[in-house]
Amino acid sequence: MSHKPTITDSLQFPADSKIPRVLLIVGAVGLLATAIGFATDLEQSLYSYLVSFVFFTGIGLASVFMVMFHHITKSKWGVVVRRIPETFGGNLKWWSLAFLPILGGMTVLYHHWTDPTLFDPSSANFDYIVAKKESYLNVPFFIIRQVIYFAIWGYVGHKLYKASVELEKTGDWGITTLMRKISAPAIPLFGLSIAFASFDWLMSLDPHWFSTMFGVYFFAISFQSFWAIMILMVFFLQSRGLLKNTIGQVHIYDLGAWLFAFTVFYAYIAFSQFLLIYYANLPEETLWFYERLEGSWKYIAYGLLLFRFVLPFLTLLNREQKHRKNVLRFVAIVVVIMHYLEIYWIAMPMLSEHGINFSWIDLTSFFGLGGIFFWMFFKKFQQNSMIPENDPKLDACLEKTYHQ
Amino acid sequence: MSTTESKNLYGILAEFKNPKALVDASAKVVEAGYDKFDTYTPFPVHGIDKAMNLPKSKLGYIVFGHALLGFSGAIAMMYFMSVIDYQINISGKPFFNAPAWVPITFELTVLLSAFGAVFGMFFLNGLPKLSNPLFEVERFKKATDDGFFVCIEAKDSKFQADLVRQLFEEAGATHIEEVYEQ
Repeated sequence: MSHKPTITDSLQFPADSKIPRVLLIVGAVGLLATAIGFATDLEQSLYSYLVSFVFFTGIGLASVFMVMFHHITKSKWGVVVRRIPETFGGNLKWWSLAFLPILGGMTVLYHHWTDPTLFDPSSANFDYIVAKKESYLNVPFFIIRQVIYFAIWGYVGHKLYKASVELEKTGDWGITTLMRKISAPAIPLFGLSIAFASFDWLMSLDPHWFSTMFGVYFFAISFQSFWAIMILMVFFLQSRGLLKNTIGQVHIYDLGAWLFAFTVFYAYIAFSQFLLIYYANLPEETLWFYERLEGSWKYIAYGLLLFRFVLPFLTLLNREQKHRKNVLRFVAIVVVIMHYLEIYWIAMPMLSEHGINFSWIDLTSFFGLGGIFFWMFFKKFQQNSMIPENDPKLDACLEKTYHQ
Repeated sequence: MSTTESKNLYGILAEFKNPKALVDASAKVVEAGYDKFDTYTPFPVHGIDKAMNLPKSKLGYIVFGHALLGFSGAIAMMYFMSVIDYQINISGKPFFNAPAWVPITFELTVLLSAFGAVFGMFFLNGLPKLSNPLFEVERFKKATDDGFFVCIEAKDSKFQADLVRQLFEEAGATHIEEVYEQ
C-alpha cells in the first residue's frame, strides 16, 4: 500500500467544450419564453417558475450539505466527486438572483396571506386563522427572511468552494481545519434555514395548512434527488471521456448506496407526515392531502409511492445492482423525474384544484432555470481541476477498494 | 483426552507472524486448491475474504425471505382481524385501512428480517457448536490475542499431511501442529 496512486486522466474540463454554450442558449431561450408567459398568464407562470426554482435550489442546498458533512466527518469516500457539489454550492450566491421574480410576484403567488383584507376584522375577507399568523406571514418579514437564507447559503457555499480551490493551489493541508470550522456551525444554520425556506416557499402557498415535518420533508426530497443528480453527473462526465479512471466503480457504488439510503429516509419522512395527518383527521391538516389525493393528482401521489420508493428500493436492495451502471442510471432518472413531480404536486393543486393541468410554462421555466443552473455549473467547473487535487484524503479515496 | 484409541487427524494448524503473512498464506492455500480451511485472527483482517476466495454470503437471501414473510404475515394478520373477524368503525375509515397498517407491517418486516439475519448467521456458521478440536491446542489460545492461524482440515479431498506441512513451511509459518479429534 506504500505506492502513491497515480491519476492518468486529464483533470481539466476541456475549455473549448460546447456544453456551457448549449446550456446557456437553452437557458436563455427558456427564460425568454417564460418571460412571455409572465406577460400573458402571470399566476400560472409564477407557480411554474416556483416549482422549477425549488427543484434546482434544493439540489444546490443539498450539495452544500453533502460537502459540509464530508468535511466534518473527515470522510475520504467522496473526495474524487466532491468538486461537483462544491461547484453547485459555490454558485448559490449568484443563483439567489433567480429568486427575484418570485419576490416581485409574491402578492400574486402568495395572495392567500399577502392580501391585507384578510387581516381586517371588519372586512368580509377576514380570515381568523391567517390573521393569527400575521406576525410570521407578512411581506416585510418574508423579504428579510429570504435575504438571510440566501446570505447564509451564498456565503457558506462560496467559502467552501474557495477554500477547496485554495487547498488545491497551495497544497496547504491546514485549510482542511478551516473547512471544518466553517462546516460545523453552518450545518445547524442550514438545517434551520432550509426548513424555514420550505415553509415560506411551499407551505405558505396554503396558509391554513401546516406540518411541523415539512422542513425535514423538503430536505429529504432534495437530498434523495441530489444523489440521483450526482450519479447522472458522474455518468455524464464519463460519457464525455472525463475522469474515467479517476472515478472508479467503488465511488459510483458509494453514490448508489447513498441514493438507496436516502430513498428509505425519504419514504420514512414522507409517510410519517402523511400518516399523522391521515390518522388524526383534523380538517385543517387533512384538507391538504385530501386535495392532493383527488382528481388526477392522486396519480402523482401513488406514483410517488411506487416510483420514488418501491422501485428504487427493490432495485437497489441487492448489492450487485449498485455496481450496474445501467440500473443506477435508470433509477436516478426515475428519481429525478419524480422529484420534479413531487414539488409540482405540492405546489400546483393551489392553482388547479381538480387535477393536473400542465402548462407550456412548466416546461420553459424548467429548461430556462435548468439551463442557467447547469451553465453556471460548467462555467465554474472549467475554471479549476475537476477533483480537489492536493487534498490530504485524495490518495486514500483513489485507493479505495471493496473486499468483495 | 490422552488416549490413543481415537486419534483421528482433524487438520493441520499453522501460525503466522502477522496479518500480512496470514493473507499471503491464505492466497497460497487457495492457489494449491484446498477449500476446506479456515483462518483465525484476534481481529478482523482486511482483504482476508478475498485472499480466502470466499463466495458472497447467502445471508441476504435468507433475510429477504424472512422480510417477505413478515410483510405478508402482517398484512394477513391485520386483514383477518379488522376486515374478517372483528370489524370496528374507526372515525369512518375503511376496514381495509392500508395507511394505518403500514407501521405494523414495517415493524413485523423488520423484526423477522432481524431474526433471519441473526439465526441465519448462526445457521450458516454452524452454530451453536459447543466444542472444536482446535480448542484443545494450547497455542490456539493466542488466536484471541496475538496469533494468526490457518487450519486446513483433513476432510479436504486434496489433504495429504506432508504436502500441507510443506505448503505451510514454504508460506513462512512460524509454528505447525497436527490437530486430532478427541
